[in-house]
Amino acid sequence: MTSNGKLKQTFRDAVLNKNIGNFSYWLHRITGIGLSVYLIMHIYVLSSAISGPESFNSRMGSVQNPLFAVLEILLVAGIFLHMLNGLRITFSDFFSWSRSHKSIFWIIAILFVVLMVITLILQWPKFNPDNYGMGG
Amino acid sequence: MAERISNQSILTWFLQRISGLFLAFFLVTHLNVHHLFHDITTVGIINFALVQENLSSSAWWQVYYILFVPFVVFHALNGIWEIIADYRISSNLSKILKAIFWIFGLILIAAAILTLRNLFSGGGA
Repeated sequence: MTSNGKLKQTFRDAVLNKNIGNFSYWLHRITGIGLSVYLIMHIYVLSSAISGPESFNSRMGSVQNPLFAVLEILLVAGIFLHMLNGLRITFSDFFSWSRSHKSIFWIIAILFVVLMVITLILQWPKFNPDNYGMGG
Repeated sequence: MAERISNQSILTWFLQRISGLFLAFFLVTHLNVHHLFHDITTVGIINFALVQENLSSSAWWQVYYILFVPFVVFHALNGIWEIIADYRISSNLSKILKAIFWIFGLILIAAAILTLRNLFSGGGA
């Protein structure tokens, strides 16, 4: 099969096979690509430290505001989804958990919700523009 | 037609899981210290001095980041590579892309290590 055919088939699978395995396959790919893009941007922003504290502080200042705090929630959600699903895949591969992979999926779905509630509580002050003053 | 799975794709598969397990610990630690438990109401926004203070709290942070950076860059690029390899590209294109991925990965690691070196030493490149 040509690579184009394979790509079409994966999309068709996503539409036709509405099951947990297919959903988690797409979830893992999309979060993985998103996190890789974030990693590259993250290293780029922080690498301003190579030019010294002033350039680091000015670039870091431009990515710290309520909008980025909201985007950071997406980042954390992507990390937790990819991590929990990745652990499920790894343990299924290594310890023959595949028979119960569907129930494990629902367990990690609950864990994910709990982790996101904790994240929202911790992140809450960063949604308030007043907290981005001079600090201290 | 039956296709033999190459030793290299088994290695790719295996290393992705090993680095993933490693990151389950290291990435959560990094996320907690520098993102989630960064309390903006008491220490203000993140700046050079704050990161430096955080990193100098223990000599172990240097060991931690020397391990963490290559693992996270490897996991990201190897993961993208696994997706590309799924779509059966030609072996010539595969070689070219692999070379690009290696060079790009090494540049990312070098940039991150230089960044950390400055943050640990307190600037003044």
